[in-house]
Order: sequence, then C-alpha cells, then structure tokens
Amino acid sequence: MTATPKKSPLDSLAALLRRAPKGPAVVGVTPHTVAWSENKWRLLRFTPTVKRHARPILFVPSLINRWYVLDLGPGRSLIEWLVAQGHEVFCIDWGTPGAEDRYLTWDDIGGRYLGRAVRVASRLGGTGDVHVLGYCLGGTLATAYVAAFPEHVASLLALAAPIDFDQAGIMALWTRTPAFDVGAIVDAFGNVPWQLMQASFQMLKPTMAASKVVGVLDRAWDDEFLESFLATERWGGDNVSFPGATYTRYIEALYRGNQLVRGGFSVCGRPVDLAAIRCPVMAVAFEDDHIVPIASAAPLIERVASRDKYLLGMRGGHVGAVVSRKAADRLWPSLAKFWAERPGTPTAS
Amino acid sequence: MSWDTWKQGFSAWEKSTSSYVEKMLSNPGVLGPAAALLTAVVKTKTASDRAMSAWWSMWGLPTRNDQERSLHKLNQLESRLADLEEQLAATRTAARTQPEGR
Repeated sequence: MTATPKKSPLDSLAALLRRAPKGPAVVGVTPHTVAWSENKWRLLRFTPTVKRHARPILFVPSLINRWYVLDLGPGRSLIEWLVAQGHEVFCIDWGTPGAEDRYLTWDDIGGRYLGRAVRVASRLGGTGDVHVLGYCLGGTLATAYVAAFPEHVASLLALAAPIDFDQAGIMALWTRTPAFDVGAIVDAFGNVPWQLMQASFQMLKPTMAASKVVGVLDRAWDDEFLESFLATERWGGDNVSFPGATYTRYIEALYRGNQLVRGGFSVCGRPVDLAAIRCPVMAVAFEDDHIVPIASAAPLIERVASRDKYLLGMRGGHVGAVVSRKAADRLWPSLAKFWAERPGTPTAS
Repeated sequence: MSWDTWKQGFSAWEKSTSSYVEKMLSNPGVLGPAAALLTAVVKTKTASDRAMSAWWSMWGLPTRNDQERSLHKLNQLESRLADLEEQLAATRTAARTQPEGR
C-alpha cells in the first residue's frame, strides 16, 4: 500500500482554480413540494419514497439565515439523509422580509406562522402531531411556541438554541449595554439589516476570516472538503434581515429580560412557562459554539417538566457540528435515533 | 519554514489574538462608546428620513411608512382569512365525525 503524497497550499490553489468555473455550490436541492405559503414564508415538504416512520419532522430554522443550512447539497444534507431513512420532513422557509414586514411581531412569526406550520405538517403527516426541531433562534422560537401551545407536538429537539440569555456571551453584553438603543435601530431601518447582524457575529470571532483562508489553503485539494466549504460559505453569506418588531421583542424580552428563564414571556397571549413542556425533549449544545454557548442552550433540560429528556453535548462549533462530515457520523444518527424511538401511530382520517 | 510550522505559528497567533479581542470587546469601556456611536448614527438617519417623509406628505402623497403599513395590513388580512379557513375545515371535520341523530 502506498501512502498518499503530502499536499501543499499550491495543490489547494490549483484545486480552487479548477473549481472556479463551476460556479457557486449547489444547495437546497433535495426534491420537495410547497405545502403552504403565506406572506413571505413557505412550508416545504420532503417526502420519502418509502415512509418508515409515521410521525413527520418539522424543522424550524433561524429567522436570520436560510433554511437550506439543513440541505447543503447532496451528501451534506441532514434533510436528504433523513428522507433516505424514511422520515417525512417539513421545513419552514421564512423567506425574505419586505419593508412592510417590519411590523411583524414575535406573535405573528413565533405564534401564528409557526402554529400554522405545526398544524399543516401534523395534518399532512397523518399522525396528527409532529416532531419539532428548532435550530439556533429557530430553537428559541420553537421552545417558546411548544411551551405555550403543546397541541400537535410529539417532541421538541432544540439544536444549539439560546434559552438562558444571561449566559449568551458577548451578544448578551452587547445588547445589554445601556447605550444600545434597539428602538432607535428599528426606527431607522425598519427591518434590522443583515449586514448589522453579520458584523455582530464577526465581532464574536474576529480572526475567523483569517482562519478560513488558512483552512482553505490547507485542505482545498480535498474535493469533498472544498465543496462542503463552498456550500457553507454560500449559506453564511446569504443572510436575511430581521423583522423590526420581532427583533425589538427578542432583544428586550429575551436578551435583556431573559424571560424564557425568569418568566414573563408569552406567545399570542398564552404564557410561556418552560415547566409546562411535558413532551420528550432533547437539547443539543456544542463545546466550541461561540454564538450559543453550552451554558445558554443546556438549561432547557433542567427547566422542562418532561420525564423523557436529555442533553447531548458534542464537540464542534455552531454550524460546523451540524453540517460537517463529522455531523453525518455523530450528530445526525443521534437525532434520527431520538425520533425513531418515538415513531407515533397513524391516525384514521 | 515549512507549511506545517507556519500553520502552528498561525494557530498560536489566532488563539492569543481572539482571546485578547474577546476580552477587549467584553469591556464596557469599548461596548459603551461603540453602542453610543451606533445609536447616534441611526438617530441621524431617522431624523433625515422623517424630514423627507414630512416633505413628501406635505404634498398629500402617501409616504413610504403609509405604504408599508397598508401592505402589512393586507398581509395580516390574508393570515386571518387562512385562520378562518382552518377553523371552518376543523368544524366540518368535527361535524362529519359526529354520529348521526345528534
């Protein structure tokens, strides 16, 4: 057996030049239909050829990133992988808010729209309920919703979702600075521009850009790494502005008031009490996550009343641990196991 | 110097720099003025937008804000209709599943 010759940054540069004419990475291509659309959001439906699990899964992505983080192209897609396992998957695509959507409140998005997605997916899925998975801010939206409206929800999986905002790191320090005037930002822009939020995230890890360059020079000769990197970069650069009224509530009630933990939060007039969550719950947190530290994501498990609950701590960062090759070996099977053990039974229709 | 040695040096630099910058950015002495600057910039933008809007409405024309509010109301109306359709469908289903004679 011969050893693979050692590759140098020159090989990586050559690979980048070879790749350049192919254009942007292909993302979000797992076949799907649109099960519902309303205002700018859509409910995407991914149907398996052979359905092996009765209960469908509903993905709730973050408001400020595109849904296709969970469908980053063939071989890198959690959705594609789950569909191949026989799961029916629904995914919310929040779309791009228009200027008029500055008035959309948390109740509109995290109550009415999310509620509709849960009901439509549970009806079409055929069991009358769904497994809900929320990623990042989508996990916060999903958790608040499930606490207020437990109907039709079979289980909750919060993936790197901020819950305890006292532990939310620099973002909490920044938004709690007295001179940070969220009302002034929303008055000025309507929807909070994605560039402003992108700058905040870059502030969390200012050396990230340099690290990426070195990482690419080191490994771009590996086609699989390069495609995965380009897909993640495409997603990372395709951000969405935050509806103004929802942003105001997010900062004031959650980042500043920490109301999910301290109490006082509500969705569409119903109080959000984490102790009211009784369905099976799994929280996943990542050791190197500088956006949602473990200390912010993990407290969900202590606070829900569910008997069937557990916390999965894993190595990795906020995005890499969810979409990387390692994720396919470690994280995805853990998620699939959680759902497969709670399959549900079809309801007569 | 080999690539591997350079990478090790970069990794050490990256670790110490990001830890230093993180400490610096967590300092209220940095966060406070940065937030104050941001607030001042956005308030200036709001003031200029309001002046423009006032001039526009002086001519009896709908402002950007008026249009945004109207569009939002239309979207809300669409959602309420969807709510009603859902309720109607639920009522129909319930009526169908009720035993006859009740």
